Amino acid sequence: MTQVLVATVCPYCGAGCGLYLTVDKEHATGIEFMPEHPASQGALCSKGNAALEILDHPERLTAPLHRNGEEWARISWEEALDRVARGLVDAIKKYGVESVAVLSSSKCSNEENYLVEKLARMLGTANVDNCARLCHAPSVVGLNRTLGAAGMTNPIADIANSKCIFIIGSNLAENHPIISRWIHRAKDAGAVVIVADPRVTHTAWMADILLQLQPGTDVALLNGMANVIIKEGLIDSDYVAQRTRGFEALAESVKEYTPERVSEITGIAAADIIRAARAYAISPASVILYSMGITQHSTGTDNVQAISNLALICGHMGRPGTGVMPLRGQNNVQGACDMGALAEFYPGYRKADDPETIRYFQSAWGVGSMAEAGSTGEDGAGGTGAGNAGNAANAALPLGRGLTATEMIEAAASGRIKAMYIIGEDPANSDPSSKHVREALESLDFLAVQDIFMTATAQMADVVLPAAAWAEKEGSYTNTERRVQWSHKAIQPPGSALSDREIICLLGQRLGLPFDYPDAASVLAEINRVVPQYGGITPDRLTRSRSGLIWPCPNADHPGTPILHSAGFKFAEGRASLVAVPFKPAAEDVSRDYPLILTTGRVAVHHNAGSMTRRSPSLLEREPELYVEINRADAERLNVEDGDMVIVSTPRGQTEARARLTDGVKKGVAFMPFHFPGTNILTAETVDPEARIPEFKVSACNIARRK
Amino acid sequence: MPVYIDISRCIGCRSCEVACKRVHSGHGHVNVHFVGDHASVPIFCHHCEDASCTLVCFSGALHKEGEKTAFDVTRCTGCGLCRLACPFGVVWTDKIAHKCDLCEGRDSPTCVTTCPANALSTDFEEASRRARTRAAIVAAHGGRR
Repeated sequence: MTQVLVATVCPYCGAGCGLYLTVDKEHATGIEFMPEHPASQGALCSKGNAALEILDHPERLTAPLHRNGEEWARISWEEALDRVARGLVDAIKKYGVESVAVLSSSKCSNEENYLVEKLARMLGTANVDNCARLCHAPSVVGLNRTLGAAGMTNPIADIANSKCIFIIGSNLAENHPIISRWIHRAKDAGAVVIVADPRVTHTAWMADILLQLQPGTDVALLNGMANVIIKEGLIDSDYVAQRTRGFEALAESVKEYTPERVSEITGIAAADIIRAARAYAISPASVILYSMGITQHSTGTDNVQAISNLALICGHMGRPGTGVMPLRGQNNVQGACDMGALAEFYPGYRKADDPETIRYFQSAWGVGSMAEAGSTGEDGAGGTGAGNAGNAANAALPLGRGLTATEMIEAAASGRIKAMYIIGEDPANSDPSSKHVREALESLDFLAVQDIFMTATAQMADVVLPAAAWAEKEGSYTNTERRVQWSHKAIQPPGSALSDREIICLLGQRLGLPFDYPDAASVLAEINRVVPQYGGITPDRLTRSRSGLIWPCPNADHPGTPILHSAGFKFAEGRASLVAVPFKPAAEDVSRDYPLILTTGRVAVHHNAGSMTRRSPSLLEREPELYVEINRADAERLNVEDGDMVIVSTPRGQTEARARLTDGVKKGVAFMPFHFPGTNILTAETVDPEARIPEFKVSACNIARRK
Repeated sequence: MPVYIDISRCIGCRSCEVACKRVHSGHGHVNVHFVGDHASVPIFCHHCEDASCTLVCFSGALHKEGEKTAFDVTRCTGCGLCRLACPFGVVWTDKIAHKCDLCEGRDSPTCVTTCPANALSTDFEEASRRARTRAAIVAAHGGRR
């Protein structure tokens, strides 16, 4: 029998479910469940079950491509890498190193993300980021400030130990389906489930208390709950006294958020706000789960801080069944952030604007010395393959925050960014106001895109590099619960496609960087040395285990840290920060021309910009086209019937969608999934002032029947 | 034993549909139906005691084997009577009949293993046992908090 089972990690959401691929004579022929997996216990959602469909998909990129006018020409890897190296170096020579930006991928492994940010920074540019910017940047900023660590505080399975589960701005039933089983387990043991969402979602189906709030009013709701909890004396005074600072100011600031006033802002009955606040505060162990409904706002960071306030004043932290859980959307978005593929952080969340960080990594990466050595010769040691690129290593690492993913696009439009290297991201579909994004990318002097499919972004590139999909390479991935898991290589990539690690190493060498990593394990070994949280997460330990290790795991004997903050916080005196956050309305409000609020989200059978799921037949057939949910009362006024094609328009543009009439969205609110290219034509570029996340969740729109 | 559904747990993710289709070479035997805005109910073979499909099957291809409504592919004529007879609409004919085989050869049916929400089970008692446990906890705590 030639069949073997290879353990991999699902390439879709951040839950990080394990799955086995059946490999028969170099082909992946089937999927087998992994009952021993600690989070999924063998379960897989529809996307996981369809994962094989993207591997041998006919549209996979199999050779490097070069744009020749409107045509694509297949080129050799030698030529492709030369062109990319030259494209980047030309921009650096002509416009300075700040004119180059690199977008890393939260689909790539930890090792690959580490190498991408290292490549960017060794070239001297601070402009490196990943799509966490579009999902959980406010969690990184907000939770780092209040709790000192950005990540889920407790593991997924620990939700079963909770007695009150407060889900706000997360439709986890569709986006992280396996988490549902742990919520049901808690319910069976008597837990109360509270769901706050502008829509009645499948997640709301699990709720005991449903808070259907107006989009963009989360801070008001959370402050209102804090108001009730403080007024009724339901806070954990010992915890507040011993483990937090800033309570007085917080108590003062939430005084004005009475249930009655919050009811006016949010549209939730005052009695329900009180019920939810009491249920959350008095339960012996309460947990808050949240996601994009909290973060994708111009007040995203405020929202996150208001959540952490609530958890802290009730002392629901550091114990089983408690905590704050940002549910992350991509298989490795947690890892991409941990690895420093973020504009403001080097690996391990070392601040980019701290000179100590720069000193540390210059020494760890041997930066100053290498650039000097390179500049004395005609050609850097690593540049021999290309000759033309030479040694592009910078003499120093960049100090200070670089441009974020959304700012890069802005800078490309204004001409500050001239060359971009985009890996496994599709900003032309995933960023707000996508018409504007496309114009910005088209104005670049040079664009290289590395992906598994010809995405809308790749269509605009000068050079397209074919990459390996998850099963075609090995490496570690960090799921939403901070669990670092190893995904083994099952099959070879199609055609001449290479793993992202191989491509980045070859490109790095062309650019004169010492990127000599024969395998993923050798990169992880370096990560073990420079990222303290990953110190003990060694290749050896990971490859032997199906349950991985949860960071922080500082040394090789450490068992990992499933529950954070059980012994206080990493601030002075071990105290977390309570931060008063006043409610600010969303940037865009309804007007005469745009009388409805458009909010966006996901469906169970699609993932993000859809470059994978829209190519997966068994998923696409279940949700084949863009739709817009409209409240029945609004639909009647608009003269729209279920199934009609409608035009949805905002100041940014317009798109067609099929109307679905429902009572699940409130009157005055419309909902569209963002898996289809049409949706982000509509969304606004207004960003959170701190985390720079766009406000995808609130846009004023108009809907009219297509004539 | 057949598969039972705890509707209070179904989250409408359609994982059972995709998984069933995957392991049965493109012929799925589960359909998730959406009722109203958000209730979802997977509909699949109940392996009925007096199964209509077996009663109309003149060739004996569909027959009872204990609790299971079994199918002998070698005897199927593809007549389609079973499809018409099934009161739940979960027998299909495409040249031959296709219906739930409880994933013979696997430890448990694929839909049961893959269901993220544990909504499906082969244990008839499971849903009611859970309900009793919940009721007991509520009683002991003097109501839900």
